[in-house]
Amino acid sequence: MKKLSFSKTLLFLAFGVLAILLVSVFIGRYPEPYWMSPKLLFQDQLAQQLVLNLRLPRLLTALLLGMVLAAAGSVLQMVFRNPLVEPGFLGVSQGAAFGAAVSILWLNRHPLVIELSATFFGLLALLLSYLLSTRIRYGGWVLRLILSGVAVSALFSAGIGILKYIADPLTELPELTFWLLGGLYSVTWRDFFFVLPFALAGITTVYAMRWRVNLLSLNDDTAFSLGASLSRERIILLVMTVSAAAALTAISGVISWVGLIIPHISRRLFGASAEKSIPAAMLLGGGFTVIADDLARTMLPGEIPLGILTSAIGAGLFIYLMISFGIKVRRDG
Amino acid sequence: MDKILSLENIHFRYYPDSPNVLTDLSLDIPAGKVTAILGPNGTGKTTLLHILLGLLKPFQGQVKVSGKSHREYSRKDLSQMIGLVPQFESIPFNFSVFEYVLLGRSPYLKPFQLPGEGDIRITEDALKSAGISHLSEKPVTEISGGERQLVHISRVFSQQTRILLLDEPTAHLDLENQNRILRLLKQMSTQGKTSVLTTHDPNAAIFAADYFVLMNRGNIAAQGELNQVITAENLSTIYRTPIRVEQTNGYTMVVMDKI
Repeated sequence: MKKLSFSKTLLFLAFGVLAILLVSVFIGRYPEPYWMSPKLLFQDQLAQQLVLNLRLPRLLTALLLGMVLAAAGSVLQMVFRNPLVEPGFLGVSQGAAFGAAVSILWLNRHPLVIELSATFFGLLALLLSYLLSTRIRYGGWVLRLILSGVAVSALFSAGIGILKYIADPLTELPELTFWLLGGLYSVTWRDFFFVLPFALAGITTVYAMRWRVNLLSLNDDTAFSLGASLSRERIILLVMTVSAAAALTAISGVISWVGLIIPHISRRLFGASAEKSIPAAMLLGGGFTVIADDLARTMLPGEIPLGILTSAIGAGLFIYLMISFGIKVRRDG
Repeated sequence: MDKILSLENIHFRYYPDSPNVLTDLSLDIPAGKVTAILGPNGTGKTTLLHILLGLLKPFQGQVKVSGKSHREYSRKDLSQMIGLVPQFESIPFNFSVFEYVLLGRSPYLKPFQLPGEGDIRITEDALKSAGISHLSEKPVTEISGGERQLVHISRVFSQQTRILLLDEPTAHLDLENQNRILRLLKQMSTQGKTSVLTTHDPNAAIFAADYFVLMNRGNIAAQGELNQVITAENLSTIYRTPIRVEQTNGYTMVVMDKI
């Protein structure tokens, strides 16, 4: 009975996200601010082009971005047994940002080169964090990775700082800064198809292993006694989610708070078990990011960087959750 | 003695260059009985349980389950045979008691498989066996220490293992809850299950166990029946404090000398 009612809720959520997507197609600043009449799609060729070549890839990428960040956030929070972890953790966001900066300054400003460089450095940061954690001889698995993640993030942040300092203030620095603020303003179908395989692989793996994630949130000795192959299962989940997040970060820039706040909201609404909270978080994350991007491209005549909006809304929601209910997690034992 | 678990000449250290935690340790655990492992702090009791579980690998010696080496079993086989109630189990997320106990079914599920009706029924039975069906929907982080320990034991029940390893299951519990947990272990041995528990409390061990193991400095100081192991001499030597073993109405009790 319980299962059925949750399936219905999930279906309802999925329809909700679909409705948001459909409505978002008509939200924008053409031909006038905020709303485009659906009739115009059949009359105005420019409107057709706009929807087909600009809005649709952008909306679908926003959906993937939100789903991936929420899935990755949920998995990382549970696997690291830490409710304050997000996909940027383990140096991935800073690594990807550094990769983009390297490309803008020294390699090529072609979007594909920037994306490849950002994905490469994002994954490199993950690898460095992992390798460093295997060399630390104290603390448990979680503490070692947290320490390595902090150190690797700091290294790449310092690298970004240096690159900003030496960037040409008239040409390179504005592009770099805008990229770091995060946004989907330049997304095309090519970008969407670049991230699609990464995103699908990440989302499918997490969805398939959603019940198993609960097991990985237990103490090492308990999880082991319950038959989990700890290293293998953790590595599969981390690599799949983090590489999806890195690929999307390569297109969107650093979009923070989605991966942190959405899993919290999902757990509060659907309970702690990842079997329910992860699929729900993916849908909530997708819907949230599409709405945030609608606001980013519509509110002002100029684009507001998406990263700024998600931070503002996410932090606001987080403060509200903390004050009104207390964050519903506890260290015990 | 029909032994279900045996350790043969086990040597263990955490790092190649660190001192031995266990040295040339050999031990047999009888099948269908409650075995209590006693010993001072830091003597290697938890390490021993982790080796029995297969979580830690000895660098010398071998562990046998039902006469076969650990290495001959797959991870899945072992997790269907041996369950663990650890000393500390911090659960950072608010699973309901039912959701948590259901995790005991994972050794029977593939990585991508969800628990089915059968698993749900077994979990409900496990909660009933431990007498905590009424806690089913409560969050695990919002129940008392005694209830928490029963929840951990229910999880092992739902795992349906023949062997249970319990690391200090009665630590920090009041007398009523200690009694509840130890009676449950005793009851399980009547159903043919084997329990191995570590404890600091010799009286708790006497209350529940059929077989006793006394550890000291990474090795076995004594193992056997109650009167062979729980003696004033053995305990006083190992705990380095004067200890008396008294008989009251045929019941053995361990007491410390009054200060």
